[in-house]
Amino acid sequence: MSSIADQLRFEPASLPPESEALREEVRVFLNTELQDYSVIQRSHSWEAYDAEFSAKLGAKGWLGLTLPKEYGGQGRSAFDRYVVVEECLVAGAPTAFHWVADRQSGTLLTRYGSETQKKTIIPRITAGKACFAIGMSEPNSGSDLASLKTKAERTNSGWLVNGTKIWTSNAHRADYMIALFRTDPDPNKKHAGLSQFLIDLKQVKGITPRTIENLAGGKNFNEVAFVDVELPEEALIGVEGEGWRQVTEELALERSGPERYLSCFFLLRKLLDELNGEENPAILSKIGLQIAWAITLRNMSISIAAQLQAGENPTLAASVVKDLGCQFEQALPGLAQELCQLQPTLEGYGNSYQQILGNLIQIAPSFSLRGGTPEIMRGIIAKGMGIR
Amino acid sequence: MSELRNILEDSVNRLFSDQLDWSALEKHEKNGWAADLWAHVTEQGMDKVLAREEAGGMSGSWSDAYPIIRACGRYAVPVPLPETILAHWIAAQSNQDLREGVPSIFSKGCALKNGKLVLTKEGLPWGGRADFLIGIINGDVVIADTKNAVVNPQKNLGRDDRDTLTGELDILATHPTPLDDDTVHWLGALLRSAQIAGASAAALDLAVQYAGDREQFGRSLSKFQAIQHHLADLAGLVASVDAIAITAFARLDSAGISGNGRNARFEIAAAKCRASEAVEKITRISHQIHGAIGFTYEYGLHFVTRRLWAWRSEYGGVSEWGENLGRIAVEAGGDKIWPIITNKGQ
Ligand SMILES: Cc1cc2nc3c(=O)[nH]c(=O)nc-3n(C[C@H](O)[C@H](O)[C@H](O)COP(=O)(O)OP(=O)(O)OC[C@H]3O[C@@H](n4cnc5c(N)ncnc54)[C@H](O)[C@@H]3O)c2cc1C
Repeated sequence: MSSIADQLRFEPASLPPESEALREEVRVFLNTELQDYSVIQRSHSWEAYDAEFSAKLGAKGWLGLTLPKEYGGQGRSAFDRYVVVEECLVAGAPTAFHWVADRQSGTLLTRYGSETQKKTIIPRITAGKACFAIGMSEPNSGSDLASLKTKAERTNSGWLVNGTKIWTSNAHRADYMIALFRTDPDPNKKHAGLSQFLIDLKQVKGITPRTIENLAGGKNFNEVAFVDVELPEEALIGVEGEGWRQVTEELALERSGPERYLSCFFLLRKLLDELNGEENPAILSKIGLQIAWAITLRNMSISIAAQLQAGENPTLAASVVKDLGCQFEQALPGLAQELCQLQPTLEGYGNSYQQILGNLIQIAPSFSLRGGTPEIMRGIIAKGMGIR
Repeated sequence: MSELRNILEDSVNRLFSDQLDWSALEKHEKNGWAADLWAHVTEQGMDKVLAREEAGGMSGSWSDAYPIIRACGRYAVPVPLPETILAHWIAAQSNQDLREGVPSIFSKGCALKNGKLVLTKEGLPWGGRADFLIGIINGDVVIADTKNAVVNPQKNLGRDDRDTLTGELDILATHPTPLDDDTVHWLGALLRSAQIAGASAAALDLAVQYAGDREQFGRSLSKFQAIQHHLADLAGLVASVDAIAITAFARLDSAGISGNGRNARFEIAAAKCRASEAVEKITRISHQIHGAIGFTYEYGLHFVTRRLWAWRSEYGGVSEWGENLGRIAVEAGGDKIWPIITNKGQ
């Protein structure tokens, strides 16, 4: 009998000494750099946008760590990148400016970009000077991404784009967008009719982002209208009609990192401070269970970094960790509210713990939406298990 | 993965899948001590994976032992193999070799009085069948003879023997050990985590198989999205229990369990806490997918789920290990918890 349980195993991996040495450097750097940020700012974690901070991280050589040296990357290991990412998340560093570029766009361009794109853009990514947006979702295409309609038609000089993207984080301030468009309207080519494009948002005309305020008052994502947008021929990334396969690889990068369980870790830290001196065994054991989860998810996450480092494609394993990680981090604000008497408050009211709690309670619903919902992740897991 | 671990994984799976189908498990449950199985296991030296080479052992690491102990869960093995592996390791830590015979381990509150061992009401794994007991008291490994013990036969939900022994037992040997007195409790928890990982893997595989075979509404259950999501949920939980258990084994190899500082206790506590917590959902989902057939004695899902329920509590459950970790975390506070998790200082 073939065993699913045996296929889905996470070989323990430990981080190499050079990555642990890097961790120490990163900690020292973050300690100094983040001194002047309020704890509220820090609780926003990878949603907080701060170009200056990203440039400093870039100047340290800590962005685009895994990208090839010939294009200005560092050519370092997936473990090194893992360490920088997790230290930033736990410290509550404002990483939104470089987040997408460092996590997926740089790798995507390295794999599929033209020489010119690689030569001009990758150095900007590693310097922390290029902010990327992800143009995938549309008003009528969320989970069913491949049903998207925004079309790119060939013209004599390049491409003409019409349509609308939505929920595009940072589109109103990003330098580039990597977008998925329909290049073949044939209804029999739902997946094969898609292609990826690189758009220079600071140059190209006809793109209008409208910022959408989220329920907590945050202004991060946008609806982006494309009206007769002319793109040059070389805006196409990779091969026409291969967009779905490329996007699937990109999503694997998007789903495999430690941010899928660490979004609320800053809150957990502050909760521990609030519970200073707590002796109630029932409360301690609930906290302990969260710590046990965190240790478990961290080890699974490092195991995935090891698979990436070995050049494997851990789609199934990454979906599992995202699904579990999301359950963990999404439950934390509720638990914090349950274990500590202080009420959650809006920013500007209450003490800092109350404000962080108030913020994370409100944004937690998004944890299970961004990057693909649990229902979709479980569909992917089921497929990987061979039952779908 | 080390080569030894690979070889052991193969041979242990072969041994148990040959020996332990459902009818064999039923027979062992009805007949008591599985002498033939024990003979097979010891002939192959499975019990001696951590014993010294001088004593015919393999001098393996805990990571090498992991597949054997996991398999004991997966195949619902009704003999004290994990406990015996531990007993050999405890002996080896004092450069001793375990005597011949079936051991049982004691973990808590036992005392030496007038040169005799006085036991508590702890249920001892196959204590009634054991030739001798081994445990740690006041910095000494204590080995006691069971022949004068009064056996009160007990079983856990898995119907594995957990006898209590009373009376004053003759001491066969003592030797100083570098291990702390609570080591058996901690490593007992570690053994059960690996067994839970194994039994959970078996429950998952049975559920996947059954959902593929069973048809309702004209198609197999696994074609229904609700069932697919149950199975995906189950698979994630099972993988997570395996991941933290094997991490704890690896950590034990690299950092030990004694002394101050950042040893394997953190990961062991996490492993048992997570494994015990996961049992509730793993058993619930795997039974739900099976419908009524999984609730029968004839269909063998219960061989693993009943053991999961038992092992969930043995050597401490969610609340004990959660409290242990919670106390560390609250005492550390927000600034020190992450350095502890990432292994740097405590
Ligand atoms: C904070 C935030 C930032 C985001 N940033 C970006 C971004 O930068 N770029 C971008 O392209 N997108 C972005 N997104 C969009 C995100 O990827 C989508 O929200 C997500 O893919 C779900 O799509 P939807 O919101 O249209 O929900 P829908 O697809 O309409 O789903 C609604 C509900 O139905 C469920 N559902 C849908 N299909 C199925 C099915 N087949 N079976 C069972 N259940 C199903 C879903 O799981 C969900 O629970 C962002 C979203 C958020 C919340």
